[in-house]
Amino acid sequence: MKILITGAGGFLGKAIVERLLAHGQTDLRAMVRDTAKAQGLREIAAQHLDANLEIVSVNLRNPAQIPAALAGCGMVIHAAAALKGSAAEMFMDSVVASRNLLDAIVATQPTPRVVLVSSFGVFGVANLGRFALVDESTPMETQPQNRDIYSHSKLRQEQLFWEYRVGVPFELVVLRPGVIYGPGGGHFSTRVGLPLFGTFLHLGGRNPLPLTFVENCAEAIVVAALAPSADGEIYNVVDDDLLNAGQYLRLYKQQVKPLRSIPVPFWALMLVSRMVEKYAHTSKGQLPAIFTPYKTRVMWGGNRFSNAKLKSIGWKPIISTRDALARTFASFHAEPPKAK
Amino acid sequence: MKQDQTLRVGIVGCGKIADGHAEVLKFLPGATLVAVCDREILLAEQLAVRFGVPGHYDNLASMLQAEALDVVHITTPPAVHLALTRQCVEAGAHVFLEKPLALNAPDSRALIQSVEAAGRLMSVNYWPNFDPPAMEFKQMLAQGTIGDVVHIEAFIGYDLSGAYGQALMSDPTHWVNSLPGKLFQNMMDHIINRIVPFLPFGPPEVHAFAYKRRETVAGNETDALLDELRIVLQSGRVSAYGTLCSHARPVANTLKVYGTKATVEVDFNLRTVIRAGSQSYPSSLGRLFPPFLMARQYFGQGRKNVSAFRRHEFQFFAGMTTLLDLFYSAIRTGGPLPISYDEILFVASVMDEVIAQVYPS
Repeated sequence: MKILITGAGGFLGKAIVERLLAHGQTDLRAMVRDTAKAQGLREIAAQHLDANLEIVSVNLRNPAQIPAALAGCGMVIHAAAALKGSAAEMFMDSVVASRNLLDAIVATQPTPRVVLVSSFGVFGVANLGRFALVDESTPMETQPQNRDIYSHSKLRQEQLFWEYRVGVPFELVVLRPGVIYGPGGGHFSTRVGLPLFGTFLHLGGRNPLPLTFVENCAEAIVVAALAPSADGEIYNVVDDDLLNAGQYLRLYKQQVKPLRSIPVPFWALMLVSRMVEKYAHTSKGQLPAIFTPYKTRVMWGGNRFSNAKLKSIGWKPIISTRDALARTFASFHAEPPKAK
Repeated sequence: MKQDQTLRVGIVGCGKIADGHAEVLKFLPGATLVAVCDREILLAEQLAVRFGVPGHYDNLASMLQAEALDVVHITTPPAVHLALTRQCVEAGAHVFLEKPLALNAPDSRALIQSVEAAGRLMSVNYWPNFDPPAMEFKQMLAQGTIGDVVHIEAFIGYDLSGAYGQALMSDPTHWVNSLPGKLFQNMMDHIINRIVPFLPFGPPEVHAFAYKRRETVAGNETDALLDELRIVLQSGRVSAYGTLCSHARPVANTLKVYGTKATVEVDFNLRTVIRAGSQSYPSSLGRLFPPFLMARQYFGQGRKNVSAFRRHEFQFFAGMTTLLDLFYSAIRTGGPLPISYDEILFVASVMDEVIAQVYPS
């Protein structure tokens, strides 16, 4: 079976290709927007003698380019999404791109199985209460206008997949990774805190972090993609032995570099958030409402997470959190300092 | 129309700049954003959800028919401005357009003619010219502080690796890359519209040249984009330099006007209006004073900005708020427009000449 992977040149996409090959899926078509990102894929393929890796350059904004990329594929793993840019750009590259892909998928016979890489951002956790358990039954966000653009765009993207499946039935598996980390990835999730004027605001207290190492996450996607019973199911992706935000920060300081940090307790953050939201309104948008009570409850309210459903289909982390963090922090430590 | 009537406003074109319009309209008294439209319905939907706009459409005709709009903000790429304007004014709406107004001066003229023929009004989003320092500068001009204008320098910096720059550099099909004047055409309004008000009416002498300073080769259509533009204008007793610079840092945004009585520099980024210092006292001792006098001016400008901030008048798009206030007031009262049609067409004709020189077809 030929498998199409969108966003294959990205941080997660490359790991998905690697795990597919490790699972014996050798007939792969990697979709990238920019072929400059294909070198890493070729290096991965070179390590698997039986790999038949085809690289196609497609911009999902352009519907005309998609059918040829889908032709002959029995499965699509959709990992392409926008991580930054203006709201319009993020919606174009995550939502409109997905709609274009879906249009082509439902027009393809036989319709391929679809695996969507969604996000924890789609959950509506603001009103769950602190330290509530987030699992696959947690409802989706109902107030996306109160969230960040990334979460809004990922929510709309996932909704589209469920909406299309009502009109034209096709096999759909949705994975919702938490915070994906690893060498080459970001150093801090916003759930830990934010850098500010040369210091680091530690906003996450001792909240559990929904971490998933990039290889473990890719393994989860591949296991679910290949599991016949996964059709129509959602799987949260978090690793075992999760750290809390304070532990992550402490280890980071020990193993990557010294960092001056200021802990901000949740009650103080809520107080500041109320003030910022009120000021943004009374000042007619003079300062943006970066912090609002709603966003703060979502991001720093704290939740617990479960990967039981994922384990029920045979997934297990291929690397422990302890080893994955050691490898990641060693990589961060070796990174050259960023040019200022 | 009654003076206190709340205007029903719509936006067509829900790309990046539409966010700026929606943000300003959210807080603008006397106007309500009631509908947004984009041929890509998912873009219209996201803007409507984020700004709590009741209506969203993928078809302008449907929006115009359903919403009885007083004003439509046209924030699409310029190639469709003329057609969309005709559609809006024929439906009875006034129009507020993003720059550049149209693909060329003849289209700009046709656009304004269609507005006038329908008995509607239009304006174009030259918002920096209505920012607090620009308004202060206009007041100085009116008071005769500068005397007769001799020479003008308008300088716009651009960051090709910034959010806007990346959008067009990473996408060869981005609409800016399809404009006859490419990046320059999308930015040049902000240079020319600062100069034109000082020039005697009539075609000026225009000399322009441009070059590509960056060394990177993308291997696609973006390689044809020139990134440094220099313009020299002269008309009657006034001359001007215009610069669009993509590499100098910091990314500057200034207007310097040399007059027979004083020279004044408006810094749109720092929001300062500073008179050039001069030596008023003889000898070396006399050169000791001017820097302190300049420092006093900067201190005064800082205080002014703090006051504006305290009054909640220091938003990023403060100039758009002022411009829209004036435009909407003209709609309600039939009073003067914030930017005359002659001035808009003058800008368009100079832009055509510059583009013809730097991108000869």
